Amino acid sequence: MPSAKITKEQVKHIAKLAKLEVSGEEERFAELLSDTLDYIEILNELDTSKVSETYQVTGLTNVYQKDDENKATITQKEALSNAKEVKGGLIVTKGVFENR
Amino acid sequence: MLNKLTVKQALEGLKKKEFTSVELVTACFDQIEKHDEKIQAFVTLVKDRALDEAKRADELIAKEGEKAFDKKPLLGIPYAAKDNYSTKGIKTTASSKVLENYIPPFESTVTKRLNNAGAIMIGKTNMDAFAHGCSTETSDFFTTKNPWDTKKVPGGSSGGSSAAVASDMCLFAIGSETGGSIRDPASWCGVTGLKPSYGRVSRYGVVAMASSTDSPGPITKTVEDTALVLEVMAGKDPMDATSSLGKIDKYSEEIQKFNLKGVKIGKPKSYFEMELENDTKEKVEEAVKKFEELGAEIVDVDLLSPKYSIAVYTILQRSEVSSNLSRLDGIRYGNERNAFGFEAKKRIMLGTYVLSAGYYDAYYAKAQKVRTLIINDFNKVFEKVDLLIAPSMPCVALNIGESAKSAMFGEMMDVLNEPSCIAGICGVTVPCGFASSLPVGVQIIGRMNDEKSILGAVNKYQESTNFHKEKPNL
Repeated sequence: MPSAKITKEQVKHIAKLAKLEVSGEEERFAELLSDTLDYIEILNELDTSKVSETYQVTGLTNVYQKDDENKATITQKEALSNAKEVKGGLIVTKGVFENR
Repeated sequence: MLNKLTVKQALEGLKKKEFTSVELVTACFDQIEKHDEKIQAFVTLVKDRALDEAKRADELIAKEGEKAFDKKPLLGIPYAAKDNYSTKGIKTTASSKVLENYIPPFESTVTKRLNNAGAIMIGKTNMDAFAHGCSTETSDFFTTKNPWDTKKVPGGSSGGSSAAVASDMCLFAIGSETGGSIRDPASWCGVTGLKPSYGRVSRYGVVAMASSTDSPGPITKTVEDTALVLEVMAGKDPMDATSSLGKIDKYSEEIQKFNLKGVKIGKPKSYFEMELENDTKEKVEEAVKKFEELGAEIVDVDLLSPKYSIAVYTILQRSEVSSNLSRLDGIRYGNERNAFGFEAKKRIMLGTYVLSAGYYDAYYAKAQKVRTLIINDFNKVFEKVDLLIAPSMPCVALNIGESAKSAMFGEMMDVLNEPSCIAGICGVTVPCGFASSLPVGVQIIGRMNDEKSILGAVNKYQESTNFHKEKPNL
């Protein structure tokens, strides 16, 4: 486990990746994230060389729905009901290359 | 005074026509109107809707009599839902600014099952925003107060639900636990709280926190009520691929059959060696003695120190949070991402960091390997004992303002709940006394999907103690 100290610059970078606004709080975040990473180094005390990962605990595999099991659906009106802006039955969003 | 009844008592009264569902619901709203300005357990109330449903319940009872309860076992019973349960047509905010105006077009499986069973949802309760915390202080709206002392937090993240039950504003409530979020506030508010096994209760429609440990569960006044509510909530759901197959026990009958004689209860040394407040430890030790008196055999056992679970939980939770909350884009629903509060941002960023290329193996994969160790550790101990006993929390409810002091406050407070959450096994907390006039909880932990045994054991405890009957002076 790398001994990590998160810098203000790293906070800015991570925030950008996660699309979060952190201006003015970079220092506090850097401090708290570093503290957390320091604590979790405790896991290095445990030998895990002979075990594999457990990603989920139920042991279920290949769970499929039967054809008639799930009839849930919502209407177009319901699907759009929480969107900020709707036009012609579609959600209006910012353009990828232009603003609109 | 009808609001003070347990679910079991209320069902008996409704069946005998001693009172109506409208009277029950009205009593709950009277209590809310009287005390919720101070306690602040609720984010949203739906009085008119609840009263309409109560009228319909009364009509059904008038028409069909006791038979109405065969198909609808919770008919006419008012309950509160944590505000992370999607409720069709009723605002579901997860106590966050991002979702402050979100009205789901669909219903969660749990609330749908409860409503189909005749239970009446009266309102949505406050929580730490997106369930990130153990005090309700990270709610983007307000902090819920502990009904036993309004200078204290109720615990969290299901703090509103626990405070509402403790102050008799509803007959039962539902919460959700990912790393302690039911047992923690239930313990601090002096009520009964069950974290079911992972997969026992469907997660469909519950605002996702850490999907590999999220476990919806009931918060009640008695263990008998937990059993009655759980048998409605639990079971395979085609809408949740991780919900467990297998038969759902008739918990309310199973707990009556349960006998503590000959049952081996393990007392994990590592749990009792954590930094525990003296009075809390003393009350829990008294509870251990009580279980022994009632016929159980108490056996000292070795379990991996819960301190490792704090680290595993932190990595898994932050990782899954960063992934789950990435869906909140402010386009299809909800506000934009700049509306996230400080705590959510902190968690999303740590998750983003530990999942990033170069760090994934060191953090995420390592944590998942330690999770295997934790599961193996529990399996080994359950070869020797049937159940485990431990304090639910290291101390009693803390003052408002304490949680902001540490980067991992919630994780540290929930240290005694995290191992069982990570392993996906079940645990239940019940009140076992008071320290500095605040409730202390003791928990019984059991094997995967063995809810009937843990509930059976704590039911025997409640049959011979009165701590769960104590009420706060509001």
